[in-house]
Amino acid sequence: MWKSISRIKALSIKEFIHLRSDWWLPAFMLIGGAMELLLIGWATSRPITNLPVVVWDQDRSASSRALIQSLENTDTFALEVHLEDMDAISDRLDRGQINAALVIPPDFDRQLVSNGTPTLQLLLNGAESIAATNVLRTIEGLTRELGMQVTLQRLGLDSEDLAGFEPSLRVWFNEKLSEALYTTPAELGLMLEFTILLFAALTFSREKELGTLESLLVTPYTSLEIIIGKSIPVLLIGMADFIIMLAMIHFAFEVPIRGSLPLLLVLAFIYTLAVMGIGLVVSVTSNNQHQAFLLVMIIGFVDFMFTGYAAPVESMPEFLQLVAQVVPAHHWLAILRGIALKGADLSVLWPNVMALVILGLVIGTFSLRYVRRALE
Amino acid sequence: MSSRHLWAITRKETLHIFRDRITFFLVILAPTILLFFMAYALSVEIKQVPIAVLDFDRSATSRTFINQITAGEDLALYAQVGTLYEIEDLLMRGKIKAALVIDPNYARDLGSMRGMPMQVIIDGTEPQSGGFAIDQISWRAEEFINQTLAAQIQALDPSLDDLQPIDLRVRTWYNPGLEPRVDLVPGLLSIVLGMPALSVALTISNEREHGTLEQLMATPVSRTELLLGKMIPYILVGMLNAVLIPIIAIIVFDIPFNGNFLLFFLLSTIFMFAILSLGIIVGVFMPTQPAALALSFLVIFFPGFFLTGIFFPIAAMPEIMRLEALALPGTHYAIITRGAFLTGVGLDVLWPYGVMLFVLGCSFVAVAAIFFRKKLG
Repeated sequence: MWKSISRIKALSIKEFIHLRSDWWLPAFMLIGGAMELLLIGWATSRPITNLPVVVWDQDRSASSRALIQSLENTDTFALEVHLEDMDAISDRLDRGQINAALVIPPDFDRQLVSNGTPTLQLLLNGAESIAATNVLRTIEGLTRELGMQVTLQRLGLDSEDLAGFEPSLRVWFNEKLSEALYTTPAELGLMLEFTILLFAALTFSREKELGTLESLLVTPYTSLEIIIGKSIPVLLIGMADFIIMLAMIHFAFEVPIRGSLPLLLVLAFIYTLAVMGIGLVVSVTSNNQHQAFLLVMIIGFVDFMFTGYAAPVESMPEFLQLVAQVVPAHHWLAILRGIALKGADLSVLWPNVMALVILGLVIGTFSLRYVRRALE
Repeated sequence: MSSRHLWAITRKETLHIFRDRITFFLVILAPTILLFFMAYALSVEIKQVPIAVLDFDRSATSRTFINQITAGEDLALYAQVGTLYEIEDLLMRGKIKAALVIDPNYARDLGSMRGMPMQVIIDGTEPQSGGFAIDQISWRAEEFINQTLAAQIQALDPSLDDLQPIDLRVRTWYNPGLEPRVDLVPGLLSIVLGMPALSVALTISNEREHGTLEQLMATPVSRTELLLGKMIPYILVGMLNAVLIPIIAIIVFDIPFNGNFLLFFLLSTIFMFAILSLGIIVGVFMPTQPAALALSFLVIFFPGFFLTGIFFPIAAMPEIMRLEALALPGTHYAIITRGAFLTGVGLDVLWPYGVMLFVLGCSFVAVAAIFFRKKLG
């Protein structure tokens, strides 16, 4: 037993020496990964603003100018007010230079004054659906507000009279409606998953390709010792990566950690174990590093599908909801969001925690047996 | 540059890909498999978002309102609860994404047009369904207000037939339903077609790792020939994918293709050249395959995913990131794919992006060649 531990230690140290001479890898993955998360978070966790929109004001009245002013005030658009024609607008939509065009009709003011219904025309560039949806929501909200005011005026009422009709909105766990709280945990999850998978997948495939696996196998080490010795650096790097990135999103993007940090770390460790298990299976299955990498890409993306970043799992077909239950990343993201953002504890998160622990055990045992057999 | 040398390197590299059958299939099929999963995830329509209702009013009006809100596919009533504590608990457990709390004075206030006292509570941690629930509930609440108010206002002034005097007519071009799938799937092409770039980075660092690069350098093959020869098989693989993947997008995911396929194919080839050149820089720079992979992820894969304007509009990014986006081949190619699939524009609109990709590709190759000389010269 004691001998075994000292062997494992020796093997882990060998791995670390490899890493040190090959310092690019941990350096790029840890520091580079964290910097990249900072950059991506910085670029994408902001309200969507500055969207190029053209206004064709055919009316040029006080009312139309007021409308344009209120568009400006939303701070969502980079407005360009031109006296244009339809051809110019359609050309710029075709070229993808603008997200939308708003056409104010020549009788806008007159209709408003004479109790009529003026028609505003909004042309959206559906080829950029995310930006277009934002434009649509903002302009819809604005016209509704404006319409309400006009109605009130027509009735001779004060705008105070209808103040009670705004439904009051409370956003829990994210009071400031910070986009970073939606995006950065998922981005962290994606980067962590790929880091662990890659490191684990390259361990044996690399030795195989370089032909050093045989020489490792003829040493007196048992296969179990080899596996554990190889796993320790992967686990350490995975945990270090997680801690650095968590600190990054906590300090740079004010993502709170409301629940218990030790609990989060313990669960992160179990998640790392599960993902590493998958990575090690890929590693012994692949003949070379190239193949291991390609398999990692596919597995990583399948997992990513179930993290709720692109689509909520509850909306998927029943079958895929079942599949989601056996994907560690699905439970891990629920745990990460739950502990960090909601301050949840075990009494709430136990179904996800149980699932993650069971998955960790099953994947761990399977991969241990599979890798052992493959090595022997 | 000699074509014989180029051919020799290309042939050697092709043999490498073919030699291992699994690697061969993965190189060819990985982009298709990736697109399939990502496109599927994006095609999932958000519906049946679970909500809870806490009705303090218990009047006929409030019940009608609750029925209206949960009618249809979008929101599903998970539970009707009795206390705020239960709502907090359900939100915490993630069982519901939003909750509606109706005030005791709801029917009375609405009847006397004083307001619509209610509160919407939303799970602020859910990237998709939370925001969706906000939109759905406020939209339905407004509809309900309008119905109720319209009756009252007509009583006040029968000449007014519409509460909403501004008629906003929306016409959405290229993607009438504003479905994210329709523009995101073409956008994703730049990620999946960029996959061979990572393979190229790997093969070059592979030669360095095995020490075979020195042997190659000792042959009369020049540096540029070597780099281009390594690239060509992957450009061919990419071109195969540039045909295969659009077909899948069109047939399986129902994405329209309005442009000229030949032009698209040509521009895709230029994109492949640019992104593979970026892969070559990585391969030349990094001495081992794990290191090459790590750097590829940082300069090709993650930025290509998040910073090329596929998911998040470039216009909304900070200025420096907008400049950085210009240096990423994916940014230009995303515009090309949208043009070819959706807007159906031709060369007159797309040429600047093609030129930009070509310039990027050439400068990447130049940088790679300079590094190459320094590393091995």
